[in-house]
Formats: sequence, C-alpha cells, structure tokens
Amino acid sequence: MPTSIQRRTLLRGAGVLLPLPFLNLMEASARTAEPTLPPRRFLTLFKPNGVHPPSWNISGGTEHDFRMSPLMQPFKKHRDDVLILDNMGDFGFSSHANSTRRFLSGHHTNTKAASMDQLIADRIKGDTPHRSLELTTEGLFPNQIGCSYISYDKNGAPMPRESDPQLIFDRLFRNPLASPTHRRRMSSILDRVLEDARSLSRTAGSEDRRTLDEYLNVVRESEKRLRNMQQAEPKVDVSRFTRPANAANLDQQVESMLDMIELALWTDSTRCVTYMLGNSNSRMIFDFLGITEQHHYLSHFFRNFSRTNLESLLKISLWHMEKFDSLLTRLKSRREGDGTLLDNTVVLYGSGMGHSDNHTVTRIPIILAGGKGLLKTGRYVRYSENQELGRLHIALLETFGIDVDTFANSVDSLPGLNGSDFEPYQERAFASWVKVEGIQITVQGRIRMSDNLDEAKVFLVDVEGQPPVRVEVEFRDFHNFNLAYHCGTGITLTGTGSTAGDQYIIRKVTELKSVYGRKPGTQNG
Amino acid sequence: MNFSSKISVGLAVSMVIGCPLTASGGDFDQDVKPLLGKYCIKCHSGEDANGDIDFSTISTTDDVDAAFETWESVVKHLQAGTMPPEDERQPADNERNRIFAWYESFVNNIEAQPAVFKPRRLSATEYRNTLRSIFGFDLQVAIIEAEQTVAERSMVLKLLPTDPPGRSGFQNDTHQNPLTTVIWDQYSFLVDAALEQLFSPERRAELRTFTGSDRVGDLTSKQAERLLRVFLLRARRRTLPESDVAQIVSRLQDKSSAELLATVKFEIKTVLMSPAFIYRGLLVTVQREKQQSVDMFELAERLSYFLWADMPDDRLLSLAADNALAEPTVYAAQIDRMLASPKARSLADDFAVQWLALNEIEHVSDNVPQMVALKSQPIDFMHYLFTADQPLLQLIDSDIAFISPHTSRHYGPDARQMTRYVKQKGIEVEIVPNQKIKLEHAIERGGILTMPGVLAMNKGPIQRGAWILERVLGQQLPEPPADVGQVPPNSADEHLTFRQRFEQHRSNPSCAVCHDRIDPLGFALQDFDRGGQYLRSNNYRPPKRRKSREQPADTKSQIDTSGQLPSGETFENITELKQILTTSQRNAVLRNIVKRTMSYALCRQLMINDRPTINLIVEQMDETSGTWRDLFHAVANSVAFREMRRSPDN
Repeated sequence: MPTSIQRRTLLRGAGVLLPLPFLNLMEASARTAEPTLPPRRFLTLFKPNGVHPPSWNISGGTEHDFRMSPLMQPFKKHRDDVLILDNMGDFGFSSHANSTRRFLSGHHTNTKAASMDQLIADRIKGDTPHRSLELTTEGLFPNQIGCSYISYDKNGAPMPRESDPQLIFDRLFRNPLASPTHRRRMSSILDRVLEDARSLSRTAGSEDRRTLDEYLNVVRESEKRLRNMQQAEPKVDVSRFTRPANAANLDQQVESMLDMIELALWTDSTRCVTYMLGNSNSRMIFDFLGITEQHHYLSHFFRNFSRTNLESLLKISLWHMEKFDSLLTRLKSRREGDGTLLDNTVVLYGSGMGHSDNHTVTRIPIILAGGKGLLKTGRYVRYSENQELGRLHIALLETFGIDVDTFANSVDSLPGLNGSDFEPYQERAFASWVKVEGIQITVQGRIRMSDNLDEAKVFLVDVEGQPPVRVEVEFRDFHNFNLAYHCGTGITLTGTGSTAGDQYIIRKVTELKSVYGRKPGTQNG
Repeated sequence: MNFSSKISVGLAVSMVIGCPLTASGGDFDQDVKPLLGKYCIKCHSGEDANGDIDFSTISTTDDVDAAFETWESVVKHLQAGTMPPEDERQPADNERNRIFAWYESFVNNIEAQPAVFKPRRLSATEYRNTLRSIFGFDLQVAIIEAEQTVAERSMVLKLLPTDPPGRSGFQNDTHQNPLTTVIWDQYSFLVDAALEQLFSPERRAELRTFTGSDRVGDLTSKQAERLLRVFLLRARRRTLPESDVAQIVSRLQDKSSAELLATVKFEIKTVLMSPAFIYRGLLVTVQREKQQSVDMFELAERLSYFLWADMPDDRLLSLAADNALAEPTVYAAQIDRMLASPKARSLADDFAVQWLALNEIEHVSDNVPQMVALKSQPIDFMHYLFTADQPLLQLIDSDIAFISPHTSRHYGPDARQMTRYVKQKGIEVEIVPNQKIKLEHAIERGGILTMPGVLAMNKGPIQRGAWILERVLGQQLPEPPADVGQVPPNSADEHLTFRQRFEQHRSNPSCAVCHDRIDPLGFALQDFDRGGQYLRSNNYRPPKRRKSREQPADTKSQIDTSGQLPSGETFENITELKQILTTSQRNAVLRNIVKRTMSYALCRQLMINDRPTINLIVEQMDETSGTWRDLFHAVANSVAFREMRRSPDN
C-alpha cells in the first residue's frame, strides 16, 4: 500500500524511531478470511536477577516423579501444563548484559542477527495487525544497555520496548480501525476540523493561509487513508473492552499488562510477545511488598547477606512466580477451538542466570508451558550435561516450523521437548572422605548450598557416614573458586579451618578440584 | 518602556568596527559588489563556497538586507586583516574604506520594525505543557523509573518527534517544521488518551474544575455546558465571542444524558485537533494598519510561551480580557510574577539547554546519576541567574555553584558547605539534588565555562574553543573542511604537547582564519582534563588511558594556557580570559546574550529590523550592568515582541 510506504519513508527521513499508534494497522487491509485452525503463538516472560538456587532448584526427582521447589509453589497448579528444564546454561560467570542477550539470542556474541522470537514472529505473524509486541516494565539502563533488551531485530539492533498498558490498549483497541464506531468517529472529527479550518481560511492573510494549507493537506491525507483502509469485521467487539486504570504500583502495572497480552493474543492482534518483568539487573524497589532495598542489591545475597535481605529477595522472586501463574491462568481462561488459548501458545519463562550473587550461568530457571501438540508438558527434564541456550532456541524454532542448521554458536537441537529421547542427568558415584593434616582440611564429596536461610552463605560438602563439612568463607573464596558453579557435583576441596569432634569447618579455601574434571569460567561469559 | 522605532546605531557600529569612519553613504551595487567580485567571490561562491558564505547569490535589496550578519563579519574581517587570507590579493585602503562607508549607511538606515507575524505550530514541549495546563494533569507513561535507568515519562514527548532547531537555533522556532500525518496521528492519539483520563475516576478533582460540581453517574446538561465553556476559554487561549461559544454549546441540546459524554468528548477533540489550537497566532486580531500592537491575548501568549513555554494561566488571561496588560506597571508585575513561578524553570530547561547545547552532557557518562549530576549543574545555575535577578555577566564568572555528592570532588574544601548525604541502605547509586554553595576556594569553577559537565562535553581544546566562540561570543563558524586529518601523535623521540603538535599541524593560512579565533580560547582551558577535572587541584587523579596506544595526556608542567585573542588581548590562563570576557569583550558577550534571548522569545531568526532594538538593549544592559530580569523585561517590551506586521496582502 502506497500510504504505508510513504509514511515509513517519512519516518526514516526524520531519522527518528517513533512509536506509531496506527502504523501497523495499515497492513491490516490485506487481512483475509479466518483461518480454520487457531493460530500458534509465542510468548516470553523474562525474570530479572537470577535466583537463590536452593529455593529454585528441584532436588532429586525424575522426569515424571519430582517435587516442585519452594519458588515453584505459586504455579504448582499448572504442573500438568509446564515443562521444567534443568541444567540449562553453561558459563562459570556472566555479566548481566551478556546473560540477557543469550536469553533469546543463543549466545552473547550473536549481535548481528535477530533473536529467536523475531524469527518466530516473522513466521507466524500472518495478517495480524501487529507483528509482535516487545514489552517491559523498567526504564533503560544506559550503563549496560544490554540489560534492558531481550528482543533484537534482523540486524541485531534492540527492539524498542513499551511499558504502558494504557498505551498498548489504545494502540490495539482504540485506533480508528479497531471498530466501525471508531472509524466513524474519526471521520466526523476530520469533517469538523476541515470546516473550522476553512472558515478561518476565509479571513486569513497569506502567511496564515500557508499554514492553513499545510494543515488542510494533512487532514485530507488522513481522510484519504481512512477511506482506503478496508477492514474485515473484527471477530470480537473490542469496544466492550475496558481500558486499564492508572497503575498505582508495579504490581498493578504488570497485572494490567498481562491483561493486555491476554487480549492481544486472544483477539489475534498479535501472535508474538516478549515481556521483561524488569531489566536483568533490575534496580526496582518493591515497595508494595514492604521492601525498601533495590532488587539488584538484594540479589547479591552473599555479599549483602542478612536473613531479612534474603527474605526480601525471596518475596520478590515469589512475586515473579506469581506473575507467571497469573499469566498461565489468564491464557487458560480463554476458550479457543476445542481447547484454551494456552494450548495454542508456547510460553517461555526464565532468567538469564542461576546464582544471582555470583552470576553463575548453570541451572538457570527455564520453563516452557502450553503449546499443546508441540510440547509434552507435565514433566521435569534435567539433562545429563549443562546445555547451551542456543540448542533450546533451535528446538523452539523447529517447533514453529523454522529449520535452521545453526543458531548463534549452537549446531544442534535440544532433544526432549516434545517427549523425544534425551539423556537424563544421573548421579555418578565416587568415594567421599575427609582428611586432616595439621590445620589443613581436605574433603571429597558433593557440594551444595545450605538451604537454611539463616546461613545462606554456607556451603556444605556431603561425606558419607558423618555430618557434612561446612564451608564458611569470605566472598573472595566463594567467588574465586566459584563454589556456586560446582554445586550438585563432586569436588575435592582443600583449605584451613577448625575441627570440633566430627564437625569440620573450612574457612579459607586453598584448592578446589572437580572429581569429574568440570571447569567453570573457561569462556568469558 | 517602549522603544521608539528610529534609533541611532552609530555608537554600536563604531564599537563593532573600532575605528572612525570618514566617508559616508555609498551604493551596494556600485561600491561594494565590484569589490566582492574582485577579492572575495573566487572562494566564496558556488556549491562549496568557503565558510558557507556565497556572495554570488546576493543580488536584490532583500538579499542584501537578509545578509546583514554577513556584512558585519565582512567588516570585522577587513578590519582585523584576516580576510582575504594573507596569501591572496589584498584590497587597497580606499577600497576598504568604501566598504566601511557603505556599511555605516546601511546600518544607520535600518528602522526598528516588528516582523510579519507568521503562525507557528506548538513545539512538542509547548504542546505537552499546554495540554497539562488545560486538563490539570500530565499524560504520563507507565514505566518504573528505577535509579540508574532513564525513561521518557511524558507521553507527549515520547510520541511526538523531537523538534529540530529552527533557523533561530531554538526548537520553539517551528516555522520550518511542518505538520505531517504522523504528527497528526500522534495528536489524535494523545487527545484521546487525555480524554480517557479526564473522565476516569482518578481525575475527579481535575474534572470538577471544568464542571463546577462532582459528577454522579452521567453528566448533567448543566455540567456539560460549563465544562465546554471552561474548556473553550483555556484551549482557545482567549475569550471567544458569545455567538461562537453558543454555537458550540448548542450541540449539547437534545442529547440524552447517555449521549452527553460522547458529545462533550467529540467537541473537545475537535477543538484540540483544530488549527487554532495546534498553531499559535491564527486567532490574533488584525487591524487595518500595516504595523500594529498585538492584541492583549496575543501579548499574554507571547509572554507565557517565552517565560514558561506554556499557555497563559487564568490570571494572565483575565488581565488580557480586561485590557489591563496594556498598563506598563501591570505588565511588569506580571513578568515578575511569572519569573517567580516554578514554570519559569523552562527558561533554564529549554532556553539555556538549547542555547548552550547542554544536552551534549548526556553523552559524557552512561552512569545516569553521574550524568544527571553533571547536566543539572549548569541548568540549576542558569535557573538561578534567570530567576534570582543576577547580572548577565555572572554567566562568565560567579561565586555561586550548584553541586551534589556526585560532583563535589571538583570543589575541594567548598564542598564542605553541603549538608551531609547519607545513602539509604540497599540503594546502590542514586540521583541526589544539587545544593547551592558559595565558591571560596575552587574559584576556577565560577561561571558556565568551567563547570565539569560543560568541559567534559566538549572533547578537546578545539571543541571547547569553538563552543565559547559560538555560544558565548556569538560568532559564527563554518563547518570544518571535510579533509582535515588527525593531529599526528608524537613520534618516539618527540616530546611535544598536544598544543605544539596541533600548531604545527594547522600552520596553513586558510586554517588560521578560524583557528586563530578558536584555539586561544580552547587552550586556555587545558588546565582541565577531558573529564573536566582541574589539573592544578591537590586531589587531582589522572584518568585511565582508554586505549593502550593512546598518547599520554600532557602533564601539569607541560601545559601552556596562555594566549592572545585576534583583537589583541593577551592572557595567561582561564581566570584572565574570563576577565577579558567581562571587560574588553564585554560588549560582544552581552550582545550575544541579548540576541539569543530575543531569538528564543520571538521564536524566530533575527532580522535586520531587530538590530536597532538589539543595539539599544545591549547599550542599556552595558550601562546599567543589567540583570537577567532586566533583560527579560526589555525583550518583553521591545517593538518586535509587542507589535506585529500583517502579511502584505491581508
């Protein structure tokens, strides 16, 4: 359509990127008959600042027999609709920005190409008025700009984000094309202002007339556009939708946005949505939860440890989980065809990192939901080895019928999402023991974080036949030896500390070796 | 006070030229044009005319008039001997005098006249402020503006394209910035959003200012009528004839109570989408005379868009309606009242920021609280000068500064005047408001030139010098030629300072034309490193080198800050340069201040007929050591501001 091309050219000429309320609608004229099957959608919800691993991880359990972790309790009722992936991520450490880039782009060096959501949007957009929505809650973080984006266009440039539910509502449902009523109203406005401008014009001098001509041209152009834009009868009467109220806090803002996502998908206004619950290093303050510290500060729960701080952090993480629950509940509430909106939507929920203080990228929270017939949900899939996110992305692209040989640095698809075979994680046996030579203690066993919230900085090494060896070290040792990375695996750890009966405490680490040779941080992530 | 339209400008001319003029009169075509052809046109014509000055396009009297600033600089160059360049043929003394004589009569014959009044579209900032003043609330974007993040909170500024600066250099000069369908769509969207809000439960209080009473359920027809009447007065920014109002109000008749709301919304939207709202000045009363005083509502609007970038408030509108604004004491009292209002902050936020290019400070640091601290210093300072009745030349040097914990390290012991800042637990870095301090030790920081953010936004001595020349002294510089290379680094056995290397590099006379003016100013600031730190302070910390192959910065002992201006004054350092700017260059600085303020106030490029007014105000400011308040009064009382000419065929 010439009009739409013209307007885009104009924009480019001005050299600015504008959020355009009506631009996408220009394309709506090409809209054809209703498809017989409900369309497939893709939806991503991003959780900032990682997790406190002992609260998130599922300990033990198998594909069909597992217990959801404390942080998963808010969406426990959706157990049959979710597919919990574990051992995702493969970096010793990562910056916030890089871990965020990887979330949908496979690898942080993949900076010249589209993120996977955009590839999916291109494939499934059909004739929807809005190709995709990129949503967020928080302002841009210029100091590490990569913390603010997960969606990137085909050149690898960040997609502008939208945060305001009212603006999204107006854009989707209150534009002149949204309903015949809106169109008629716009048309009468144009008639009236034309009348006004003409009456002014009769008395105007040449300077005024030049201005009025400029004005009249624009109004006539708008009339022409309105006339040219044919529209199919909307399948839902959108004029009945209620505009979201002003949000008094983050919770209300997010709840309203989830409403908008539900409506946008249900009315088939768009089929691809990405939503960040905050920047990946979010500085937001959850005052409505009674918390006065910044989320990012609290997320460094080792460095800034106190029981109260940790509880605040968990409250925030639980809130994130509640929003995921709220989203799934909404999608399930909409009937579509023989099933629900959730059945026709593949949902990806997760974070960029695991351990939020050390920025360790192992066992990062990744959950898929919905996608009936595409995903086999109701399972817990823990892979035998740490997985690149790029493999997951290839698998999801395939789910939407996009075959790629490679994505970012990854070359093959992650198995198991649709119930296909995968190699599950298995504990490997090894001997565990403690040795003491003078003040030096050496222990071999499986290392884990204490799940006692009063001592969240403490690591425990399990040794058969005696109390676990306690590792109570300063941040420097925690970080330099990357204790968080080795959690759940066998290590041989040497250090100094104290002994009281059969209770050993290591306070200074001098050496750490992985029993199976795992080495963190070989890539600068 | 009103300025008479005929003013002798002889004094100002001799100040510009600096020498007595003997011959008088002269004709451009006979006396000047041939000389331009002989000495200038070789370089100054055609598409790549040097310095963007093309004499070949000047032929009619109007062209000559429009080029008045060019003639001023021609005379300056001839006087200083900087043009034609020394390797070109030079005009004889009698030829030079012919040009001087023509120029004197040219300038002497100019009358102070207002411009033809051209309507202009509200700038995005004005549109935002005006919408806010009409409805009583701001259209805000829902976004969490956490510390260290940036977000556009204004829905208007988010949706409307950023206005490019007009020919005046200011964004409120929208004459070359036409309405487009894109902007039209955004206006429509914004008005809808405002209407949704006005009738939402959260805006009950604001709605009551229109309806006079609380809405219970549907609007009553009485409420609807009052709402429209109040709205029309605000949105039209003037009282309309009762017949016009009655016609609009009559559309409410015979509407069921359910239809009333839709009708009211429709009427409001048509008014806000109409040309009389979107453009300024379409409703001005035009009299038969070619030149006339603007009507009182227009005067009120001119004043409020100048001092507030916003529409007139109720007080101003009612004084306009009563014709009381014509009374000089009332008018003056309104200016003072408006300068005391929080809305006068727009003078700093818009006028000063655009004039001094302070938005450039945003590129200095990605760390938002640090960047905001650096940028807010000059803005708070300018706001103080504007609204606390401070002398104009405090711009150059002052003993007042605005600092926060993020900038306090630049202020040595003076920083102790701040009340102690205690960061709240769990907040990593945050924006901290400035506090006003008196400079007792860090006196090198006084005035706008040596504020850390201003020093850091201009990269290196050349940018710093060009900034002072253009923004403070008001001289125009052409774009630098595209083929200038980089200054070569020291080779292994060289130990030259940047200044020495640069002076070798630019020894070409055609470079010298501009660089003789730029460089002394810029090198005077070499005591400040690229981040704006003062090298001579006791706690100076050298910045880290960004790249390993980067040349080390010059050390304190190597640095030479002395220089000589083309006009002859010499100085040792920035303190002495500031002194020159406030004494022998005082007139040039004042003149630039007056011109920039006039351009902003008039929302247009200055014309030849503004010149007598400018001269008069400069003279007045010079003689009385005028303050910013004095200047705002003088501008608001000038012919250009209070009067208009109508288009020739009106």
